[in-house]
Amino acid sequence: MIADIWFGLIAFSLMMYVVLDGYDLGIGIASLFERNRERRTEKVEIVATAWDGNESWIILMAVALWGGLPEAFGALLPAIYLPIIVMLFGIILRGAAIELSVSLRSDAWITVFGIGSLIVAIAQGFAIGGVLQGISHDDGVFNGGTWDFLSWYSVLTAVATVAVYVVAGAAFGQLKSEGESARAARRLGLSTLLVGIPIVAVTAIWSMDLLPQQLTGGRVVLFWALVVVAVIATAATIWGFRSGPDAAAMVGVVVAEISGMLALVVGMVPIVVPPDMTISEAAAPHSALTFLLVGIGLNVPLVLFYNWYAHHVFRGKYRPVEERPAGVTQAGWAMRAGGERASDEQEVRS
Amino acid sequence: MGLAAPSDLMLDVSRWQFAFTIAFHMTFPAITVGLSVFLAATYAMFMRTHKPIYLQIFRFWKKIFAVGFALGVVAGTVITFEFGLNWGPFAAATGPILGPIIGMEVVTAFFLEAGFVGVMLYGDGRVKERTMLICCSLVALGTILSTTWILSANSWMQTPAGYRFEDGQFVPENWWQVIFNPSFAWRFPHMLLAVLIAAALLIAGVAAYYLVRGRAREFARRTFSVALGVLALLLPIQLFVGDNIALQYIVPHQLPKLEALEGNWDSTNTGYQLLVIPDQDGQQNLWELSVPWFGSAIGAKDLSGNTPVPGLAMTPPEDQPNMTASFYGFRAMFYGSMLIFIVAFGSVVLRLRRRLYRATWFHKLVMWLTPVGVIAIIGGWVTAEAGRQPWVVYGQMRTEDGVSQLSEGAVIGSFVGFLLIYLTLFAVWLWYVIRQVKRGPEDVSVDEIDPDPDPVRGSVAEPSTPVTP
Repeated sequence: MIADIWFGLIAFSLMMYVVLDGYDLGIGIASLFERNRERRTEKVEIVATAWDGNESWIILMAVALWGGLPEAFGALLPAIYLPIIVMLFGIILRGAAIELSVSLRSDAWITVFGIGSLIVAIAQGFAIGGVLQGISHDDGVFNGGTWDFLSWYSVLTAVATVAVYVVAGAAFGQLKSEGESARAARRLGLSTLLVGIPIVAVTAIWSMDLLPQQLTGGRVVLFWALVVVAVIATAATIWGFRSGPDAAAMVGVVVAEISGMLALVVGMVPIVVPPDMTISEAAAPHSALTFLLVGIGLNVPLVLFYNWYAHHVFRGKYRPVEERPAGVTQAGWAMRAGGERASDEQEVRS
Repeated sequence: MGLAAPSDLMLDVSRWQFAFTIAFHMTFPAITVGLSVFLAATYAMFMRTHKPIYLQIFRFWKKIFAVGFALGVVAGTVITFEFGLNWGPFAAATGPILGPIIGMEVVTAFFLEAGFVGVMLYGDGRVKERTMLICCSLVALGTILSTTWILSANSWMQTPAGYRFEDGQFVPENWWQVIFNPSFAWRFPHMLLAVLIAAALLIAGVAAYYLVRGRAREFARRTFSVALGVLALLLPIQLFVGDNIALQYIVPHQLPKLEALEGNWDSTNTGYQLLVIPDQDGQQNLWELSVPWFGSAIGAKDLSGNTPVPGLAMTPPEDQPNMTASFYGFRAMFYGSMLIFIVAFGSVVLRLRRRLYRATWFHKLVMWLTPVGVIAIIGGWVTAEAGRQPWVVYGQMRTEDGVSQLSEGAVIGSFVGFLLIYLTLFAVWLWYVIRQVKRGPEDVSVDEIDPDPDPVRGSVAEPSTPVTP
């Protein structure tokens, strides 16, 4: 029971990560398609104030898995060694590139930021696919090959992940910018959806085939309900990009992301490592789980507050750089205070 | 584990990769923990006095902090994953103990830093001064909490306590004993002092450069004085703590580490080894340079000079740590601390003689010693970790039993990738810091500071609402 609650927290961390870092990875990828130097700078500066907090969720997810379900952690990571290592390379490059490009006002580092973001997204897609298709293990110790993760299915999940992140990035970009930047974000969001919807749909159908649980009884109702929510949210996203208010697309993307991931959870629990490792098999002893739940569980509201605050201070629309007083950083100056619309709070609350 | 033993090559590459990635990571917290405290204190001084000099100091060091902090964060992410990637069986066995400790670090420290560092770096001119100070202080608190949890986890691997071993897993029984394990009490203050000292030396070194060049005089004098004051205060405490590490934890808990770091094989030498060339296979030194009497006096605490220093041959060869790594790691730290002691002691003498800002030879010395604090920290970590071998959890789990079954190609490939990326980024970072230092601190105009500051200063196109959290 206590292990199930803990699994809930791990799943929650993953969702927070996808929602938060998804948009800033997407903005990074989008910067690769942007030629205009000011708008490239704008993209990296929108990300600069919050990327660290967004990215922390993947660390929480990893460490929550390690502490609470150590067998799963020890079996999973060696199975997806290459995608995770490549993801780490991407994370390193883009983290360094964000601070260096802001501090040096260097265009070359913005390109590194974009490439790093793309690498992270692709690698995460391969990792997700590699895990969902099941891993080979002997009593919790991975015994498969280095390239087991690579399959047509994981290629598809990689493309789908990139598409989802780019749409999220476009939606966030639309929220934070105005004028030509916002129009460009809307166009990018719509064209990515055009390609992305069929890809994500095919991936979803293929995933249903791979899910370790038979969809029967209560599961089938819940699963399809979540799929319906995801479809409606996607429609809302399209409307948001076409003609809706600036925040609509972002809300749609977030709801679609969360319901899609919840549908996956419905098709998996109590399996954590496909095809057969369950939560209770992977769970840490009671004394560890109790400590985790009290120590870390009680801190989660605080962590959410930190995330909200980081977005709240820099709320509102990005403003192109004008004459700024000496010493005031570009990003701090460029973001205008007090936007009328409650802009960036939805993704934290949802 | 029921599987074929991992190949030696794969084990070695996994160890080298971990050692290399953690040494790279370590370089940045070694500086940024101390810098975050310094920045918070500087901003507090600015708020009290509203003197432009403090804002100038704050903005200059903030830029160097920003890039170092980002590199430390991303390199730290790598470490979290590596526990599972390369050390899957270790992660599965120690997860119930180390997972919760690192998890506490993530929620109490990592998110705290991450949430407020954005405001600290980019909030200048956007939030109130009080908010800015709170954010800076929270970032500093986060870095110190982070150090605390990490030292707790690492100390548990050195002196495991408060657990029972069951079904191949370490099961926590008493969390108090797990977190406050025997070596934590000394190793935590040792590390905290080390990072504060390393940052103080960096700040003093940069100030010394300006003093030598005769540039940015007020900036240089003020930071030189503060940094050396901190150094003079902390170094004596550090020497005391360091000595107690040997007496209170290494001697009773990890004697082989002491044997290895002192550089003797047989237990007959009463001298102090300055340099050795060990031959681990032959269990002897090919060459050694020894100072008579000092080994007995320092190593064995016998001033009569008759007590020999224990040698590594007392430990069976299969349980011995590598002498070269332990010895030179320790010597890098020890000789480094002696150099820093000269700086700290010299600064006190010069200050009393009122020559601190005029003694050019001293400025040059401090300038050249700028990186010694960081080097000493890395040396200390090599001693602690290499000296713990062949155990990953001391006395309980061998390193070779903790490694994942990966293909040699995958691990060599990832190691080469880390080498390329990290060496490049390290070069870029050095270039960046040197560039910032050569450019010097930017001037802060007086009219930029008014006693009751508006959240956004200067010419604003439209009035903006104040941001109050």
